[in-house]
Amino acid sequence: MHALAGAYALHAIDDDGELRLFEEHLSGCAECAQEVRGLAETATRLGLAAAVEPPPALRDRIMAEIGQVRQLPPLVAPSPSIRESRSSAERRSPLAGWLRWRPRLAAALTATAVAAAVLLGVVAVRTQAGLDELRATDREVTAVLAAPDVRSATAPSGAAGGTVVVSRSQGKMVFVASGLASLPDSRTYQLWQIGPEGARSAGLLRPDGTGHISPVVSATVDGATTVGVTVEPAGGSEQPTTQPLLLLDLPQA
Amino acid sequence: MRPEDEAPPEGRPHAAPPELEDLLRWVARGDRDAFEQVYALVAGPVFGMVLRVVRDRAQSEEVTQEALVEVWRAAARYDPERGSAMAWVMTIAHRRAIDRVRSAQAGADRETRVARMDVHRPFDEVAESVAARLEQERLRRCLGGLTDLQRESVTFAYYGGYSYREVSELLKVPLATVKTRMRDGLIRLRDCLGVER
Repeated sequence: MHALAGAYALHAIDDDGELRLFEEHLSGCAECAQEVRGLAETATRLGLAAAVEPPPALRDRIMAEIGQVRQLPPLVAPSPSIRESRSSAERRSPLAGWLRWRPRLAAALTATAVAAAVLLGVVAVRTQAGLDELRATDREVTAVLAAPDVRSATAPSGAAGGTVVVSRSQGKMVFVASGLASLPDSRTYQLWQIGPEGARSAGLLRPDGTGHISPVVSATVDGATTVGVTVEPAGGSEQPTTQPLLLLDLPQA
Repeated sequence: MRPEDEAPPEGRPHAAPPELEDLLRWVARGDRDAFEQVYALVAGPVFGMVLRVVRDRAQSEEVTQEALVEVWRAAARYDPERGSAMAWVMTIAHRRAIDRVRSAQAGADRETRVARMDVHRPFDEVAESVAARLEQERLRRCLGGLTDLQRESVTFAYYGGYSYREVSELLKVPLATVKTRMRDGLIRLRDCLGVER
């Protein structure tokens, strides 16, 4: 296990399971964590030696984008009551593992504009397809996208990727995903909203032949901080029963 | 822009340029001016490193943008106990660069990357600043003190964005050996560079 310290510092572990195991090991081994810190600083020096001045326009683009990106609050220890309810949620849910890994997985937020464009693209394709019965959903999707307080988050996760767009004023979120492999009839993808109180189903997802799903609109659950996708028996489950394929930080207002 | 009614944060020096660690604390409070200073300090290293890994200039600009926006977004999560601010920023950017090359990776593409990568000249000699040139000189000397296998394992991983499995396949060396060489190579590099532990 310890031998992985170098590969870890170089970001050369490409297996998520192995990465988690090593990080778990690190959290219980102060000496290893200390070594990894030194090796990560060393790897950084490799990067510094490669410095190249970026084009000036990049600075302007970045300064413009940060004006539209909400900052994360600091990590704080949960209050006793939340810790209590979270640990009971963890006991009954395989999502427990991920809640601890959220900071790493949270590293995926793209500009709202990009996500909205993706969603609108999906909506447009569907409209062209003339699927009348889906127009009601389209209107709901459009209402969320047009809300003044719309926020989005996107995560690639291996082959699968997802985007969630949320409007707190509308009390709704829209979720789309791609790269979802087809499942046997006995199985379905299920979307969850997860908070300190545990997970609540946000509906079943039916990917088309190319792994895309149509936008799914659901009401936001108070306190939900994360959305996730799991594979469940056909018809869905009360609570997630498998490890999630996809996890996204739900943007807060 | 800092609100008018708030005094400048404590300890902000007037003459000496602020450290990246301090700037990040101000960025965490939404200080755009501090972020501009962060940008000035990290944009060159981030862009250059990303360019080494990704190679394509337009994509490297995108990855640099993603990484720096992430620095803005997550500044409050930076924990000085866990390493220097520069290491934190470069880690974010390096992970992003690797995500980019791994997701774009097809067999042919990977071979192109191997072909373009010269482990004996691990960085392009285009450094514009004196500091970067000094850093390169020191690093070149220290990399010269590694065994070939240590140097190749470390540089294929860091500059090539290879996983240790890929390095093992590429160099036809057992997995366990590659893991060990990455670790002892970095340790030797750390000691040669005098990196604080």
